[in-house]
Amino acid sequence: MNVKFNNRDPVYVQVIRHFKEQIATGIFEPGQEIPSRRELANQLKINPNTAQRAYKEMEEQGLIFTEGNLPSRITNDEKVFQQVREELILEAVGAFVDSIRTINVPLNEVLHLVEQNYHKKGDSQ
Amino acid sequence: MNRYMKLVNFEFNRFIKLYFVLIAFTIVVQLSGVVVKSKSYLNGANEAIKESMLTKSEYVIQYGPMSFIDISMSPWIMGPIALCAITLVIYVFFIWYRDWVGKNTFSYRLFMLPTARLNIYLAKATTILLFVLGLIALQLVLLPIENQIFKWMVEDVYRIDLSVLEIANQYYLNLLFPKNILEFILFYGAGMTAVTMVFTAILFERSYRIKGIFYGIVYCAVSILIFLAPLLLQASLLENYFYPMELLFLEIAACVIVLAGAIWIGNLLIKNKVRV
Amino acid sequence: MIEVKNVAKKFGRKKVLKDVSFTAEKGKITCLIGINGVGKTTILKAIMGLTPYESGEILINGEKIHPATYEKITFIPDTITMLPNMKIREAFTFMVDFYDSWNSERASELLKFFRLNEDDRISELSKGNTAKVNLILGLALDVDYVLMDEPFSGIDIFSREQIADVFTSHLIEDRGVIITTHEINDIEHLIDKAVLLDNGVILKEFDTEEVRENEGKSVIDVMREVYQA
Repeated sequence: MNVKFNNRDPVYVQVIRHFKEQIATGIFEPGQEIPSRRELANQLKINPNTAQRAYKEMEEQGLIFTEGNLPSRITNDEKVFQQVREELILEAVGAFVDSIRTINVPLNEVLHLVEQNYHKKGDSQ
Repeated sequence: MNRYMKLVNFEFNRFIKLYFVLIAFTIVVQLSGVVVKSKSYLNGANEAIKESMLTKSEYVIQYGPMSFIDISMSPWIMGPIALCAITLVIYVFFIWYRDWVGKNTFSYRLFMLPTARLNIYLAKATTILLFVLGLIALQLVLLPIENQIFKWMVEDVYRIDLSVLEIANQYYLNLLFPKNILEFILFYGAGMTAVTMVFTAILFERSYRIKGIFYGIVYCAVSILIFLAPLLLQASLLENYFYPMELLFLEIAACVIVLAGAIWIGNLLIKNKVRV
Repeated sequence: MIEVKNVAKKFGRKKVLKDVSFTAEKGKITCLIGINGVGKTTILKAIMGLTPYESGEILINGEKIHPATYEKITFIPDTITMLPNMKIREAFTFMVDFYDSWNSERASELLKFFRLNEDDRISELSKGNTAKVNLILGLALDVDYVLMDEPFSGIDIFSREQIADVFTSHLIEDRGVIITTHEINDIEHLIDKAVLLDNGVILKEFDTEEVRENEGKSVIDVMREVYQA
């Protein structure tokens, strides 16, 4: 795991986002075991307190769960997976729409360009 | 107590190499001195006997016999003793300042030990005392050996034999080897008091730096004045009012006051004021 | 908790600390930030009882420092505090002798982590390795608080990375850490709390995540505001 953090968003929020991305892209599977907070801190080079906070928050959001003394796992709830995916898509689209609106481009034109670019980038990858 | 002993052990080991060098130097030079001095007397005697056709006893009558004092008063014996003394006097300062010199500031470590800092002070003082006593003991062992070598080398006719006790009581040596327990207490007590006084003066400097040098000098002056007070009073105002024994006890009392003062002030400084 | 309350200190006529107050909690990494010569090191020394101060008070777990406190708190200065002619092994023996809180297991663990050899003489180590040994001497003590003076300055990049790794490991976990630095870049993500210092005065004390969350500002953003105001 290698994450480049920005300095302006809370680190724990960025950690959660990182998890959500991995859930949405399927790198994390339902019920998969995740690193302990200590391991996570070490992998991401963050403060163990921050890792702790991120896990607590994710647990509250139902992204992960812990049973007794066992290691924490990614949720089994398909609905949550779906939600996370939607959330990330909506977030990206929202950001995109905001920036498109500021330069006053009509929707048709944009959609066409989006399609073109999407394929181009897909090919080059 | 435990950490105090460990500190003594630690401080002792820090000087041990140089100490062994001093001991080796002392042994080599003093023993060589006995041989060289004896030889040169014998050579002188032999030549004189040959040239002037004297008998051995006539030579002794004309030129005098040789005694161990001739050796012990020579630089061969005095030199190493002086060197040891000077080294230890320098080390009284260096035992502190070495913790501040260089990039590796060991003073941090010492002052962060989980033990009363007075233990550091006392351990350093104890170390100095042990080194002094060690060298005295060495001298005490060396003198009879040297005396014996002297006896082997020089025939009876040329010799005035002295016992080790008599040798030890000659001139400067009697300062190292007190005759009785009272003298021992006075000499070594005064010596250790002087060491603690210097320690405390060093701590004044280490606590207040440049201003501390001034404080240290004033402090030493006051200490010395207290120490000399009985003698000064005897000589001036009181005009031999005290008997010698009374004077001695007053001197010991003054010594104890100065010693206690040094440790008390030293403790306050090392505990609250010293800077790394 | 370490509480520094209204501490003031002079060197001669120069006031190096004027009314300095802040706290450092157990389990958190508190970072004293300021350019060189603003009194960061002096604050650490004052906390450790290594330099006297004229007024104010410093409490460690509610108590003034006394000899037994040195089993609870340790200081890692920016130069090594062992005799240079010692081998690493001898330095460890010294620590075993004098500290009940010395954890030999952890010391050898750290030695392995930093890939150091205990038969090496301290004076013959590279700068980076000397810094690591210095760090071990502090971190292998089972203490509640660790104070570090500029642990990243003047050493090579790989040693810096290794040392930064220590901060994200169990070696630091649950302890209270105060570290000083004149450049925050390397460790911005690591610290819980920043204390900004200038000319012997605390300009601002803040929780880094809180400031990111509530104001969307990085530590450097806050520094820019505070120092250039």
